[in-house]
Amino acid sequence: MGAAQLLQFTIAGLKNGAIYALIALGFTIVYASTGILNFAQGEFYMLGGMVAVWALRTLGLPLLAAVPAAVLVTVGVGALVERLALRPRRAEAPLVLIIITIGVSMLLQSLARHLFGPNEVALPPFTAGPSITFFGAAIERQTLWVWGLTAVALLVLWVLYTRTKLGLAMRATAVSHDSSRLVGIDTARVVMVTFALAAALGALAGVAVAPLTQTAYDVGARIGLKGFAAAILGGLGGPVAAVAGGLVLGLTESLSAAFISSTYKDAIALVVLLAVIFLKPSGLFGRAGREKV
Amino acid sequence: MSDRTRRFAQSGGAVLAAAAVLALPLVVTDRYLLKVLTFVGLNVIIVAGMAVLFGYAGQVSLGHAAFTGIGAYTCGFLTARAGWPWMTAVAAAVALSALGGLALALPSLRLRGHYLAMATLGFSVIANIVFVEAKSLTGGNDGLSGIPFASVGPVRLDTPWSNYLLVWGAAVVVVALVSGIVRGRPGRAMAALQGSEMGAMACGVDPVRVKVTAFTLSAGLAGLSGALFASAVGFVSPTSFALETSIILLAMVVLGGTRSVAGPVLAAVALTLLTYIDGLIPGLSKTTVAALQDWKGDIYGVVIVGVMLFVPAGMAGLARAWRRKSRSVTGAGEAA
Repeated sequence: MGAAQLLQFTIAGLKNGAIYALIALGFTIVYASTGILNFAQGEFYMLGGMVAVWALRTLGLPLLAAVPAAVLVTVGVGALVERLALRPRRAEAPLVLIIITIGVSMLLQSLARHLFGPNEVALPPFTAGPSITFFGAAIERQTLWVWGLTAVALLVLWVLYTRTKLGLAMRATAVSHDSSRLVGIDTARVVMVTFALAAALGALAGVAVAPLTQTAYDVGARIGLKGFAAAILGGLGGPVAAVAGGLVLGLTESLSAAFISSTYKDAIALVVLLAVIFLKPSGLFGRAGREKV
Repeated sequence: MSDRTRRFAQSGGAVLAAAAVLALPLVVTDRYLLKVLTFVGLNVIIVAGMAVLFGYAGQVSLGHAAFTGIGAYTCGFLTARAGWPWMTAVAAAVALSALGGLALALPSLRLRGHYLAMATLGFSVIANIVFVEAKSLTGGNDGLSGIPFASVGPVRLDTPWSNYLLVWGAAVVVVALVSGIVRGRPGRAMAALQGSEMGAMACGVDPVRVKVTAFTLSAGLAGLSGALFASAVGFVSPTSFALETSIILLAMVVLGGTRSVAGPVLAAVALTLLTYIDGLIPGLSKTTVAALQDWKGDIYGVVIVGVMLFVPAGMAGLARAWRRKSRSVTGAGEAA
């Protein structure tokens, strides 16, 4: 395999990795503030892409408006899911809440099929034009958008978490709900904001990648799984670890497709997931993760 | 009613129900309806195992359709392609599914939290890729056809009636077995875990061992159901074992409720019949049936979310609350 070809696979890996990173971030922030594995995280990704295509084709919005509209709609869905389906059972065991997210995921997927139809769809690229050549490898312009948007999302998250009062409240809630309430933090609102934020991250990934790969009503489960594998790889800890987990998973997948077989490319995520759980449950970058009783 | 008479009435009721189910082909003569009822029995076998896993061991699985698939393909391949005798093939199918369950549960359950649920989701997705891609074993998207009927020695079960009896005979044995397990020592260990994992550990219960055993058992039962499905239908294809099927199975146990085998079994009967409602009510218009099929996913999604929001212990929980209430009323009467 030539150097250019290897570079091409690396670029593809980093592109997918950025998408996994955004989904992994969604998992990580929801897990941090609630202790729930959100099985509906992949559906936010699906909604982002599908709503954008719908706004573009059916409502006739320009691409520039359809993309943020799709993210906003998904944020609304995320907040509604938290408010209507999860908050009423907040005091229950995580098992109950996890099953609720599974049900919500099934429901969102079915409703999306009724609303947007069963076909695979795609968005046009955000900026038209030929691919950029880079040391003999081609980079599609949309891939640059994926990286750019991921970087912006990270920056916004970092500012939010470290520079704002809301971010401080979110970090406090992640440590302890009870103590946070004692110092006057509205933890219910923080959890809702967290879900909305996770939905935004998922939708952003969905719209950013929709010009590159076709999307459909049923893509949520598979991408959710990859994002979760990335989050576990990062140890379900901080945002930086989640992003690193995403990139590592994307590269692993892409390079194993290059060197081993592309048929079972999707199986890599599960193998990685089980290997990490089995060998190093704290993730590649996490601290001691074994939960206390 | 004292506990002893209640237990007695319960086992009497169970024996009567089993007899009625096995005698049903004497009354039902419609072949399609009999086939539908056979599918109901196949789901009962899977859900009985999942009832232990969910209601007693407190674990969620999104992978049981995949275990059913492993059982179905193993039995189908071994009987149709490798020429194994039926009994041996079924045993191999159950063993392989159980082994898959063990391999998945062992790493995931070493940790608390709900990694297992996510690992089963992954397993489900991967298993489906393998069912489609491993064409030499599974026939790919075209499926595996020409699977022979169940046969023991010279006896071939090649009528809808005999297949119904085979599946429901197995279902009755499985339900009896599972009910015995949850009433016995393993059931008490699981009940202790539900109360307090720390307390249970202090009493010598190994939480990981109990949960892994429950998962392996339920995976093996799903494999058994798959093997019986393959020999009753004669054809296996990947679509039967998609993630959606796993979520439907989850909806059945969730609706059936916790700490009960009867609840999930009844829910499995009800929700499976809903899928084949056209066989049950012959006069139903085509559009109604099509609409029901179209909205299936939404219905199951609403069932799962609704039960968890309003009655987390499911139908079994409702029955327990109702029984407790009626008992306290009669108790008050006796006191006065």
